Amino acid sequence: MAPTKFALTVALAIGFAFPARAAEDKVYVKYRQKVMTGVGADMGAISDILKYGLPYTAAIALHANRLGDAAALIPTAFEQKVTAGETDAKPEIWQKPDEFKDKIETLKKAAATLEEAADGADRDDIQVAYKKLGKACGGCHKAFRKPKEESYKKR
Amino acid sequence: MIRTAGAGIRSVGAGLAVVTIAGLGGDAPSGGEREAAGHAPSAIERGEAVLRAAGGCSCHTNLPEEGAAAPALAGGRGLATPFGTFYSTNITPDRETGIGAWSDVDFLRAMTEGLAPDGSNYFPIFPYPAFASMTRRDLLDLKTYLFSLPAVARRNRPPDAWPPFRWRVSVTGWKLLNFRPRPFEADPKRSASWNRGAYLVNGPSHCGECHTPRTLTGGLDRARWLAGSVEGPEGELAPNITPDRRTGIGDWSAVDVAWYLETGIKPDGDDTQGLMAEVIEHGFGKLPATDRRAIAEYLLSLPAVEHEVKAPSGRE
Repeated sequence: MAPTKFALTVALAIGFAFPARAAEDKVYVKYRQKVMTGVGADMGAISDILKYGLPYTAAIALHANRLGDAAALIPTAFEQKVTAGETDAKPEIWQKPDEFKDKIETLKKAAATLEEAADGADRDDIQVAYKKLGKACGGCHKAFRKPKEESYKKR
Repeated sequence: MIRTAGAGIRSVGAGLAVVTIAGLGGDAPSGGEREAAGHAPSAIERGEAVLRAAGGCSCHTNLPEEGAAAPALAGGRGLATPFGTFYSTNITPDRETGIGAWSDVDFLRAMTEGLAPDGSNYFPIFPYPAFASMTRRDLLDLKTYLFSLPAVARRNRPPDAWPPFRWRVSVTGWKLLNFRPRPFEADPKRSASWNRGAYLVNGPSHCGECHTPRTLTGGLDRARWLAGSVEGPEGELAPNITPDRRTGIGDWSAVDVAWYLETGIKPDGDDTQGLMAEVIEHGFGKLPATDRRAIAEYLLSLPAVEHEVKAPSGRE
């Protein structure tokens, strides 16, 4: 089979496998949720280092760096407007794109501040920067994520 | 702590007698860290710590509608409940519209008996059933602190509720059914920290007022103490905070709980929204670390109650 023919077959197969628009939307939501789960994982990991006093101060800088990278992924993750189905994304994300962008910038800056603080290795500075980062999460969620009362998870 | 109500309905007189004792006596464990810090804190400083333990009295600031411009503690915040919307009151020391003209006795009666200086009832959206177990010293320190703050002139707003729930006289019936005030009693078999946690959770921090489901008459369901409520104020879901592994916080460590109360970050890295975010920012996050650990120790020692708190379907 010629390569072009093979590609066409694959494309057709995918087309038949995922013909409905709804299925596509679901996939976008899944990707989006993986990006956000990654953010939560780094936040939770930094929490563990701080609250249990693990000797991994240098790792905090790496986690913060990853959060800065994750912030750069968020615009892509929310490019496709999907508000129906199993998602807590609010339509305001696409209605107020500038505000959404600002919140992502806030996250980037807060992540950079934490990275710097972690390089300085002063636990109090780190903790202050970490709380600020938590507020960056919360500020965006407040505006753009459905509260748990309205979550598709229903809890 | 699960306290079963005494059998039968007590007379109002007996209820009030108990309150009077609550106001006068009782010596709850205090925040050791502050007092060990060297200087003896003033009444204002102690009172500020009591306000923090009460979650910053956040319900008395109308943040949701007025944002950062909301005058602190001047009331007017609407708290939606199944019985209607009740508005928090002005607790700044304005003599005309706030509590500036109140005596110590007025303040103690309000906090422990739910009675206004003119003898009328406060609606039980005001958590006096919890505050009734606070020590007289904590209550008066709180008053001293509140009186040190700027006075704001703002009139209290009557509730948007249907009769009979909008009538203060109806609260007399509610009190007969549901109001069982008693002073805090330390458990000598437990640690000082556990007892401090018990005092905070059930007294000033009034956790049960949101996190315990209510009965048909609007009383707290003692069998499901702190097991979560779908009818929290402002229509929020208040999660189950008993150590049940599936439906509560049984998979949280004491360190997780204390860290959460300080930062609002859950073990999975997620943040906190709603009234609890305010309570942490203006209250628990500024408590001495020993108090947060005490709350964690106490909460995780409670009986686990399996109770799933989910939004009623169709609320989307």
